Amino acid sequence: MPTGSPLPSPMALKRSSPQHSMFKKRSSQSLSHMASAASYLSALSQADARARNSNGMSPTSTPALSLSSSVTSSSEDTVLNEDDELDNGDGLVIPTRPPTSEQVFTTVHSEFGHCANEEYRCVSQHTPGTIIPGHVEQDPPYYILLSTYISYLILICLGHFRDFFGKRFNPSAYRHLMAHDGYAPLNSDFDSFYTRRLKLRMDECFSQPITGVAGRTIQLLDRYSPDYNHTQILTGTRTRALNISSYNYLGFAQARGGCADVVEETIKRYGVTTCGTRLEGGTSELHTFSEALVAQFLGVEDALISSMGFATNSNYIPALVGKGCLIISDELNHASIRFGVRLSGASVRTFKHNDMASLESLLREVISQGQLKTHRPWKKILLIVEGLYSMEGTFVNLPAIMELKRKYKFYLFIDEAHSVGALGPHGRGVADYFNVDPRSIDILMGTFTKSFGAAGGYIAGNKALIDRLRLRGYSGAYAEAMTPPVLTQIIASMASIMGVNLPPPSTSSRHGSVGPADEIYQYPGPVPASSLPSWVTLPTALSSSEEGRDRLRRLTFNSRYFHSGLVKLGFITYGHPSSPVIPLLVFNPGKMNMFHRMMKDRKTPIIVVVVAYPATPLVTSRVRFCVSAAHTKEDIDCILRACDEVGDILDLKHGIPKSERWAIEDIVGRAVELANA
Amino acid sequence: MASTATPLEPIFSFVVESLLALERAFYSLPGSGIIERYIRSSHQNDPGRTLLELILVVLVIRTLLQSRTRADRTGKSFIKFSDKEVDELVDEWVPEPLSLPLTSQEELELSSVPVVVGQSGPKPKLAATGKVAVSLSGLNFTGLAGNEHIKAKAIEALRKYGVGSCGPAGFYGTTDAHLALERDIADFLGTETAILYSQGFSTITSVIPAFCKRGDIIVADRGVSFPIQKAMQISRSIIRWYDHNDLQSLEEVLQGIEKERKKKRGPLTRRFIVTEGIFEKDGLMVDLPKLIELKLKYKYRLILDESYSFGIVGRTGRGLTELYNVPASKVDMLLGSVAIGLCAAGGFCAGTEFVTEHQRINGLGFVFSASMPPLLSVSGSEGINILRSSPSIFESLQENVRAARAILDRVDCITIPSHPASPMIHIQIRSPSVPTLHPSAAAHLSLKPSNPSFILPKDASNWDWDVETEEVLLHEVVEEALSQGVMIAKAQRLRGQEMVEVRPSIRLAMTSTLTKKETEKAVGIVKASLVKVLGKRRL
Repeated sequence: MPTGSPLPSPMALKRSSPQHSMFKKRSSQSLSHMASAASYLSALSQADARARNSNGMSPTSTPALSLSSSVTSSSEDTVLNEDDELDNGDGLVIPTRPPTSEQVFTTVHSEFGHCANEEYRCVSQHTPGTIIPGHVEQDPPYYILLSTYISYLILICLGHFRDFFGKRFNPSAYRHLMAHDGYAPLNSDFDSFYTRRLKLRMDECFSQPITGVAGRTIQLLDRYSPDYNHTQILTGTRTRALNISSYNYLGFAQARGGCADVVEETIKRYGVTTCGTRLEGGTSELHTFSEALVAQFLGVEDALISSMGFATNSNYIPALVGKGCLIISDELNHASIRFGVRLSGASVRTFKHNDMASLESLLREVISQGQLKTHRPWKKILLIVEGLYSMEGTFVNLPAIMELKRKYKFYLFIDEAHSVGALGPHGRGVADYFNVDPRSIDILMGTFTKSFGAAGGYIAGNKALIDRLRLRGYSGAYAEAMTPPVLTQIIASMASIMGVNLPPPSTSSRHGSVGPADEIYQYPGPVPASSLPSWVTLPTALSSSEEGRDRLRRLTFNSRYFHSGLVKLGFITYGHPSSPVIPLLVFNPGKMNMFHRMMKDRKTPIIVVVVAYPATPLVTSRVRFCVSAAHTKEDIDCILRACDEVGDILDLKHGIPKSERWAIEDIVGRAVELANA
Repeated sequence: MASTATPLEPIFSFVVESLLALERAFYSLPGSGIIERYIRSSHQNDPGRTLLELILVVLVIRTLLQSRTRADRTGKSFIKFSDKEVDELVDEWVPEPLSLPLTSQEELELSSVPVVVGQSGPKPKLAATGKVAVSLSGLNFTGLAGNEHIKAKAIEALRKYGVGSCGPAGFYGTTDAHLALERDIADFLGTETAILYSQGFSTITSVIPAFCKRGDIIVADRGVSFPIQKAMQISRSIIRWYDHNDLQSLEEVLQGIEKERKKKRGPLTRRFIVTEGIFEKDGLMVDLPKLIELKLKYKYRLILDESYSFGIVGRTGRGLTELYNVPASKVDMLLGSVAIGLCAAGGFCAGTEFVTEHQRINGLGFVFSASMPPLLSVSGSEGINILRSSPSIFESLQENVRAARAILDRVDCITIPSHPASPMIHIQIRSPSVPTLHPSAAAHLSLKPSNPSFILPKDASNWDWDVETEEVLLHEVVEEALSQGVMIAKAQRLRGQEMVEVRPSIRLAMTSTLTKKETEKAVGIVKASLVKVLGKRRL
């Protein structure tokens, strides 16, 4: 990095304490009279203007800035240097309620919301003995179903009608679907029917380009289409919106803060690449550090890291099973799992989503019948399930599966792409949530994209297995190794959840153990500083795991509050009440586009993800929310209010009967009660 | 009687009432009259037809309700067991272990994987020895790894975007950084557009199945890399093979297919030629103008994997199209690696607007994966900037390649199949008996062509090399060179999983960052190690 860089030093956060005291002094002098948010804001904008004029960037010249967040001590802050952001009516950039003198926030509000209320915290944990909700499909009234089917019928009829006549009267527009010059069409009109006739119509909901961090808020690059979505033209303007769509469960999508500072240091020290595959000289010490840390985090012997989440499944499942083996797969498993299964050459059977009775009867059948035709016993049976299903929000019924595993001796592969980090009192995923010993699960797979703000994936298990996979998986020999900045993000974010012990701890606390008396698996406590690269220094908020713990509990509170809020408003939702993925069913395909647009066009724009056939069954089109620890309670309130209004207009409330519903103000007021219910 | 009638009466009246209600509801539906008239008249004309239609309706409902997983219970091979028998079978069944422990050879291999401390590049510091070695194994052809401009841009991007992109491209995972790199690649190559994937391997395994479906025809080179083989396996297309880098053989295969199609009068299907620019397995280079000529003549679409030529050969690194002065737009799908060519991460497919837009919905690795970290795409864009503005990089790279070849070509215990201009140089052990053993060289000896339906060429039975002994020897060479301070790597293969066993080789990757002198010195050490280890074997 050039020396004259305006970026703050990696140690910027260390300065928080002097700022803190400085601020305390000021708050008693000049800010005490600011009673209303408006006066606070005007002071802020004045301070900002002053900061813009003066080039010397001492924190004392910008009292209000250091007040809103202690990291914004630099003029180059991505958030505050935008001229159009000074109007803070929507509370997206600067909290509507100014912090009190005791509160010091080390995050940028637009990336990771400021929330100091200890009431808005929950622990994600399964209460033993309670029933694990299966996948219950709640049916809407018949008129909704009927109109949904009719919508699709009209769509299909009109679509084929247009195709038929279009090909005859306007062949130039259908050129790519018809054979020409002796070439067969690259795309058959049948295969692309839904793309052309359904997706194209609602293209404004998809592939929206953004800029900046996809954290608590997101900046959309505005666009419009002059020709019915065939082309999208960027207008050059930007809109900041509340983001409840990105996979950012623990809120580590941050361009500022301890993790980003360490990543900057890595880029300086290691560059952005390791030049090659893992087995051909592309292995860096950072790989060794992060793999050991991941294994420790999950409580297993060893782990390996792959540079892409999708490829973790598709490149390693074939190394586990082959011909003569059977894979039993949940019907809603992710495409990457299906891809890997197809490459492996093993036989596949599927069972009904998260239905343990269906699984058991299938197990009894396949074990007793043996291989197809030959009836020889299967070499291995591998059950592949996901910890948290990304489209339904259901948790796998792990206790029941462990029971079945003991009886039927299959191997268990859990894809924790969405659950690792997001579930469990320690954030270690679904095994942590259900308090199952992680070492009793054969293969734990997961990704770093969703909870850790990084990229890529891991596979963890016992050492012999992982070593075998290092050699036999496709990635080791043929795919590029993971890059240093991403590895460091993983190290920093995981260490901040586990905590770092500066003095070398006694060996007993380092390793997870099963207490003989209570049979409860203890996750290893803080990691010794020696398991991080020597140059990595995390600010105390991170190394004490205080912030990490806070993130876990904020996520659970937000998920539980939002989920029960939607239910109490009368919506049909799927999934576990603690799931950070919350699908809201809209059924009619036409409502998806409307829902998306009405949420985006509000005063505080909210962006959502809508999913339809073929990603879901035909009738159950849905909106999928991904709650984050970065959201404040006010954000969730805001989204619930928006859903309430839009839901009324679009007639989406078909869940619990009217008499049991709550008014929005009740929900917002009794949030803590709802979340802890 | 009366006692039985009384409890039944309300039931009867209920049935009658509900029937009446049903009837009323039916007639209140618009169009019910037409249905009623149709059924009445159809029943009157042919009562048998009503029965037939009823059976049809029942059949349809049954098919709809039948679950897929239960379908083969009725199959011939299904044996019925009682619950007790099933329990016994379950108790008896013992699965094989999930994974076998590593053999001592494999353990050695895994433990000797070099670990780099700090910056990877031409002179990495190794964790095992703590010393700095000269690397001829890192894929850092143009020296972009560790470039200070790229680092500065990456840090800037980090402070703007964070690290992860936190979503698939379809759902708020596309940033302006991704769009910029796509545009830069397309501009650089001269294609309409490009699409980015987050891993090189997955680029290939996504692009090919996105276009090639069941029933389509793929004509592929016998020496294509492992990801291409896997991609073709996923695509379920019909695959025909032609001899490695032999375009005459390709033409024969194309003619054969055309003849077959005319004979069968089959429908026109999509047809593709799949090959690599510089082959990952041995560094051979395809004759692109001839290939384009054939593709146009026989009306095939060309999928060209330029993972080891994009950013590596050509006057400014545009790859094979620049080297041969062929417009990139003539290649239908041009694949490349951002990880290798631009020292960042991921891969891309460049082509027409239609080709890339199609992948945005059908490329599995694009749709179902988070987009690459924006700071890496910014690094890629900066990499292109550097390549564009400094052609001298490629001059010094080629100079190093020539210097290396000048030394290696004179070593008589090895064969080098690679193209003289290829910065990736494969070194194979020369077999003592036969002077030329390279498959493509031997293929010309016999007149009968290989069977295009099989990947094994006809001379495969003549291969006299033994994978294991050669692997061990090459491993010794690698260790020997490392002890002299030069880091080289054996080309890694998944033995038993490649469709054709690949002859073991050492893969050198030249880099422009080393001076000619340094290169000569390092390659000299490689030569000495080769002679030392392989010469011993001769005696």
